[in-house]
Amino acid sequence: MAERNLEQLEKIREVVSQDLLSGRIELLLGWEKGHYWWQSRPLFARSKDDLAKLTWDSFCAVNLSRYLLEELKDHQKVGVLVKGCDSRAFNRLLQDNMVERDRVVLYGLPCPGILDYKLLAAEAGPELKGIAEENGKIVLKTASGEVEVKRDQFLMAKCRECLYPDPVVYDQMLLEPQGKKEAPERFKAVDELETLTPEERFAYWEKELSRCLRCYACRQACPYCSCRECFVEQENPRWQGRAYQPSENFLFHLVRAYHGAGRCIDCGECQRACPVDIPLQELNRKLIKDINELYGDYEAGLDAELEPPLLTYRPDDPAAFSEK
Amino acid sequence: MPRTGVFICHCGTNIAGTVDIEKAVEASRNFPGVVHAADYRYLCSEMGQDLIKKAIVDNQLDRVVVGTCSPRMHEGTFRKAAAEAGLNPYLLEVANIREHCSWVHKDIEEATPKAISLLRAAAAKAVLNESLDAPELEVEKRALVIGGGIAGIQAAIDIAEAGYEVDVVEREPSIGGRMAQLEKTFPTLDCSACILTPKMVEAAQHPNVNLITYSEVEEVKGFVGQFDVKIRQKARSVDPVKCTGCGICYEKCPSKASSEFEMGLSKRKAIYIPFPQAVPNVPVIDRDACLYFTKGRCQICEKECPPQAIVYDQEDEIFERRYGTIIVATGFDQMNPSQYGEYGYGQHPDILTGLEFERLFNASGPTGGKVVRLSDGKPPEKVVFIQCVGSRDKARGMNYCSKICCMYTAKQAILLKEKVPDAKSYVFYIDVRTAGKGYEEFQRRAAEEYDVAYLRGQVGKIFPDGDHLVVHGVDSLSGKIIEIKADMVVLAAASIARADSPELGRIVGINSDSYHFFNEAHPKLKPVETHTAGVFIAGACQAPKDIPDTVAQASAAAVKAVGLLSKEFLKGEACTAEVNQAECSGCLYCEAVCPYSAISPVEIEERYQGGTLKRTVAEVNPALCQGCGSCTVICRSGSINLKGFSNEQILAEVDAICLQR
Ligand SMILES: Cc1cc2nc3c(=O)[nH]c(=O)nc-3n(C[C@H](O)[C@H](O)[C@H](O)COP(=O)(O)OP(=O)(O)OC[C@H]3O[C@@H](n4cnc5c(N)ncnc54)[C@H](O)[C@@H]3O)c2cc1C
Ligand code: SF4
Ligand code: SF4
Repeated sequence: MAERNLEQLEKIREVVSQDLLSGRIELLLGWEKGHYWWQSRPLFARSKDDLAKLTWDSFCAVNLSRYLLEELKDHQKVGVLVKGCDSRAFNRLLQDNMVERDRVVLYGLPCPGILDYKLLAAEAGPELKGIAEENGKIVLKTASGEVEVKRDQFLMAKCRECLYPDPVVYDQMLLEPQGKKEAPERFKAVDELETLTPEERFAYWEKELSRCLRCYACRQACPYCSCRECFVEQENPRWQGRAYQPSENFLFHLVRAYHGAGRCIDCGECQRACPVDIPLQELNRKLIKDINELYGDYEAGLDAELEPPLLTYRPDDPAAFSEK
Repeated sequence: MPRTGVFICHCGTNIAGTVDIEKAVEASRNFPGVVHAADYRYLCSEMGQDLIKKAIVDNQLDRVVVGTCSPRMHEGTFRKAAAEAGLNPYLLEVANIREHCSWVHKDIEEATPKAISLLRAAAAKAVLNESLDAPELEVEKRALVIGGGIAGIQAAIDIAEAGYEVDVVEREPSIGGRMAQLEKTFPTLDCSACILTPKMVEAAQHPNVNLITYSEVEEVKGFVGQFDVKIRQKARSVDPVKCTGCGICYEKCPSKASSEFEMGLSKRKAIYIPFPQAVPNVPVIDRDACLYFTKGRCQICEKECPPQAIVYDQEDEIFERRYGTIIVATGFDQMNPSQYGEYGYGQHPDILTGLEFERLFNASGPTGGKVVRLSDGKPPEKVVFIQCVGSRDKARGMNYCSKICCMYTAKQAILLKEKVPDAKSYVFYIDVRTAGKGYEEFQRRAAEEYDVAYLRGQVGKIFPDGDHLVVHGVDSLSGKIIEIKADMVVLAAASIARADSPELGRIVGINSDSYHFFNEAHPKLKPVETHTAGVFIAGACQAPKDIPDTVAQASAAAVKAVGLLSKEFLKGEACTAEVNQAECSGCLYCEAVCPYSAISPVEIEERYQGGTLKRTVAEVNPALCQGCGSCTVICRSGSINLKGFSNEQILAEVDAICLQR
């Protein structure tokens, strides 16, 4: 089991079941437990019975905002539980005209960070049976007893450098906000890559991207990928070759990363979804860093009213690339 | 498969000197779809075009590739030839093997395969070319002139005389520009006001000219034939219909402010006309200087004005009008030479710029037309003129020659001698430049008949000594040090672009050079056109120039404008963007980046699970689209495509170059 805070869960359930029963929302997007105790998967709740399955634990990683793209076709009004990153994803969709604000009710859940099962298992060994949590500590339960460890060492990569654990847009905040966090190492990997020569850098990415299966899980998880037909699937013109080879993998990932320039909210869902652990956030963060340097600091998804830098022109924009 | 013909031009030796034409022709024969290939010495000639036309007919060609100079040069020529042979002109494709190849390479061994690659790419694109039609657009039969100096006035009169309406937007309360500030004009010494005032009046009285003074252009939208312009008419605080121009208001007004027209050398009232011959002769209230506006009391002008024309609560008025064409004629400024510490400008009242000195000759100027020292009111005995202050100065000023200073300095020295016969002038110069009809003779007269001493050399320092200004210079011909105890120093400060010209250029959509002077479309062949169709430039806003050149350029711009206005309709852009609405996700990023506001959202209905679903997608207005392609780049799903430059076509070109072995 992975119980964290039953009290929190009850509070969430109370609010959303009221809204579901009163008809304020027709559908609630939340999480339920998956096949394993360390998995929480999306829950599509339409009734009180469905809500019995609701969970809120340290494994609710899946970004639910993205499911709005489909669910709003079938439902007039949808409620969504949003963590910090989910709420920024919602802003992404809002700015891209993918959702209508008044058809969505956002329930804000400040997030302590999602735990990475792989790290837990590595620490405790394969017999890990479950965990318990209190006060920033995790108790790892195994057949041979219990071990207490510090929580923040077992966070998912995407949560370790999270700046905004609190939802930035919501209709109702359900839990106590925790304030902005520091992320001093957010660009560390990018900085290191930048010190490499172009050849070394190419070799690095060639190695990483050679693992890509082109399953497109990253794209499916991504809140900035909302095209109706992705360029990789288009027949005319055929941008993306079908061949399973490095140059085609490069094309896919580079084009996708460029599509996120000034738009990527750095939620890390792509990297989490990747079955072969390609460090996709490094690619995205390189573009975030470049955008910040070229056009001034911009945090995508923070404020849906602030136009993405590549969509605006101001005479006092910093110098063009060519002048750098 | 289409039937493509490839025609390769030698361009004399321009292309043939660096590209093996025979090889290129042979290679072209093997490109997919090519059924005919030929070459010619000058394809753009009458004979060359006939060769293409004949081949189209003889070989039933339905695609044509020409390997020539840049499409900017001759795409139009060849498209026309293709059309004359019965082909839709957009089925012709240009491979630029001159500017992009032969001119930038020396080695025939390297340039030839590159030329073949470019031809292959063009042939691959041509296969995908489609017949296109340019829409016909209406022309609004009215011109806008921005700036009412001599350039703007001349252009407006010419357009009006050709029978078209023209609005002149002038920022100041009166038209006239710098020429109104001048005393007499070289090379004939006719009085500036005497030749300018009749023009100002002619413009004001012409039924086709509408003067919009004390106004500025805030926004320009649209395109050639249909520019929608937002104009802000600043509050004058005087009703121009009621005002009779009697002048009692500014006579009685108790508050004073520095006069812009007099270059700050004297004061004007808070309610004022900039100069006696102002057109329109309607005063304005300078609200920053007016006692009523600043302190809430006075209102003398209101009490005194016989027709009760004062309107304190008048507000800025913003209105929008459509114009077929725009002429920008916003003129120039003089550089403030205080950055040249050695000349001491700004630190002594007897060190003046050329324009300030000019005002001393004028009967209505700060000294009532007496040329005297501003420090003590005495006529000067020795006046030193310094040329090229800020001009031709790579290190600290402008690289260029301001063109007018040698001549107006000679003029001012002559006028000085006429007003103050005892005065002696010294001119420090680098070169004396007097190209122009009657100019050399004029300058010689100054030197020979008016006793003006021309000293080739530079001034290192000017410092006050008692009543005098000691000018320290070096005569570069003799190498001698020169020291002159002068009474006055006149600095020929550089002519520079107006400070707001980059901003205006952005509003109107034209660009400027590194000095912020507006760029002409071609330095020789398109001197008044800009890169924005329908926008022309005239006068000193393009580069420093004197009145004859300004007026000639203004008339040239007017002819271009009239040529445009006289058309029934204009051919619009055929290569416009198109949205694949089934694929479009409706993000409207394209709308945000389109510089011509050609894209807007529309709602469409789509089938969804038995029912329908409404959603928003993008739509292009082909009349507004200028084919810039910005939208196609921002669209991630490639759902917006530019006709004639479609994604498919561009990729076909890339493949043709990259996939060849
Ligand atoms: C000291 C001196 C002496 C000279 N003597 C002679 C001479 O003897 N003979 C000769 O041939 N030439 C002489 N010249 C040159 C002459 O002044 C210029 O050739 C002439 O003034 C250029 O006219 P223009 O209409 O292009 O510009 P300007 O005279 O500068 O007129 C431009 C007009 O546009 C207006 N304007 C500017 N910006 C805007 C805006 N954003 N919106 C609306 N309106 C705007 C201005 O208020 C102005 O009225 C002399 C120049 C100087 C400096
Ligand atoms: S950018 Fe592309 S997807 Fe977005 S609205 Fe325009 S055409 Fe549609
Ligand atoms: S090509 Fe696209 S961006 Fe350019 S003018 Fe046309 S619609 Fe606007």
